[in-house]
Amino acid sequence: MVELKNVDVHYVDGAKGGVDALNDVNIRINDGEFVFIVGDSGAGKSTLLKLLTREIQPTGGRVFVNGYNLLKLKNRKLPYFRRSLGMIFQDFRLIPTLTVYENVAFVLRVIDKSKKYIRQRVPYVLNLVKLNDKAKAYPGQLSGGEQQRVAIARAFACDPKIIIADEPTGNIDPRLSYEIVELLQDINECGTTVIMVTHNHDLVKYFGGRIINLKDGSVAFDGCIEGE
Amino acid sequence: MRMSNFGYLVRRGIGSVFKNTMMSIASFSVLLVCLLLIGLSVIVALDINIIMTNIEDRNEIEVFVYDDVTDAVLTHISDAVSSNRNTASVKFYSKDEAWADYQEKMPQFKELYASLPRNPMPYTFRVTVKDIKSISDTAAELQTIEGVEKVTAPYNFASALVDIRSTLSIIAGAMLIVMTVTSVIIIYNSIRSSVFTRKKEINIMKVVGATNSFVKIPFFIEGTFIGIVAGAAAWILTKLTYEAIVRLFEGDITIWQVFGLVNIIQFDSITWYVLAADCLLGAILGAVGTTFSTGKYVKV
Repeated sequence: MVELKNVDVHYVDGAKGGVDALNDVNIRINDGEFVFIVGDSGAGKSTLLKLLTREIQPTGGRVFVNGYNLLKLKNRKLPYFRRSLGMIFQDFRLIPTLTVYENVAFVLRVIDKSKKYIRQRVPYVLNLVKLNDKAKAYPGQLSGGEQQRVAIARAFACDPKIIIADEPTGNIDPRLSYEIVELLQDINECGTTVIMVTHNHDLVKYFGGRIINLKDGSVAFDGCIEGE
Repeated sequence: MRMSNFGYLVRRGIGSVFKNTMMSIASFSVLLVCLLLIGLSVIVALDINIIMTNIEDRNEIEVFVYDDVTDAVLTHISDAVSSNRNTASVKFYSKDEAWADYQEKMPQFKELYASLPRNPMPYTFRVTVKDIKSISDTAAELQTIEGVEKVTAPYNFASALVDIRSTLSIIAGAMLIVMTVTSVIIIYNSIRSSVFTRKKEINIMKVVGATNSFVKIPFFIEGTFIGIVAGAAAWILTKLTYEAIVRLFEGDITIWQVFGLVNIIQFDSITWYVLAADCLLGAILGAVGTTFSTGKYVKV
């Protein structure tokens, strides 16, 4: 579960006196939900994601993610908190020197899983994203859509409670964007909460569901719409 | 951490030594030169110490006694000289022995000796000292003994030796510190460049929940591995260079004898210590350089 209570984020900027990135934001996302977060550039989407991964701390309010009070989370506990999240990025962030298999196995090694578990889990998640035949390829040998599927497999490999996708369709062919969201929906159906940030309104209208629209650092809309 | 995952990190660390060839060569070369210079400085400093000790051992205070002293006074002088706290050894020369010794050392005046009416040499005590720095004080103390006519000691030579030894110790110490600091700084910089080029990779690790130690271990292994290899190479080069220097002096018998080079360190007798020290120091320098350089980037 994700809960933001009266959250403010104020960036200090010496020359301009500071910028209010988020103002009194209240959001609650229950386990198993699929949520689109939309908004224009500068609306506060990135700031919201940085809060959820605890890259930054709020200047006011409280943030709870997966039972962790992020305001009180000690730095040495941070890696363990992050293991409860699966992150997907617009630029994929795959390790170019590792094969597809190794990229996925890598996160399982990070969380200290056994060799046996890794040998079973990696083919399973690669099969889920239909990339079993590319296991030995390097990221540079794959298309954008394929790379993003590897990133999804990597995010899902640790069986996280929440997957946070930051513009996952931003760098890929629009036609493939639908496949990516469908893949995330499949994962969501397994019980994983998915929070997807996007500025692709067509995609949001097509799939529908819960939409949180951020505008000038505040929640302008939080509700469900029907998909097309 | 599981052994299998630790093994994976070790393999990654060693693997990145070969993947980042240029960085590895740069770190290796710097460490090699520094370890070579440190190794040679230490061995040469030890050799100089041995040589200085050899030279010091030849320094004697000569205590000359009045001609007309009784046996009782001679015994008293002998006891007083032997009981001095700085006395290492005492050798007594009777007048005849002193005269024979003198003639043996100065054979070029042989004809002159025959023309002398009597033995000109006094009873003599030759005293070697424990601490050459106190030679002046010791000579002054011996001079106060009843029956002693004159005391001579190589004051200037002794103080020069003391000065040379202190200066060499300072130079060797300074070189050691400078080389060590230089190695750490250059290793720090080359590993930092290596870390910087893999900033993205480190960021991915942190995002997926890697602990600081998980991120640092491969870099640590990389630095340590390069350090050990550089240590082994430095050992070979130290051996070759040192033996070449020794061979250079071996040809000159005068230098060899005057400075007592017979006693200097034979590389074969310390070869394993040098190998162990080079590898250990290389590993430490590599590890310390890596630890400093990864610290900043690991924090996300």
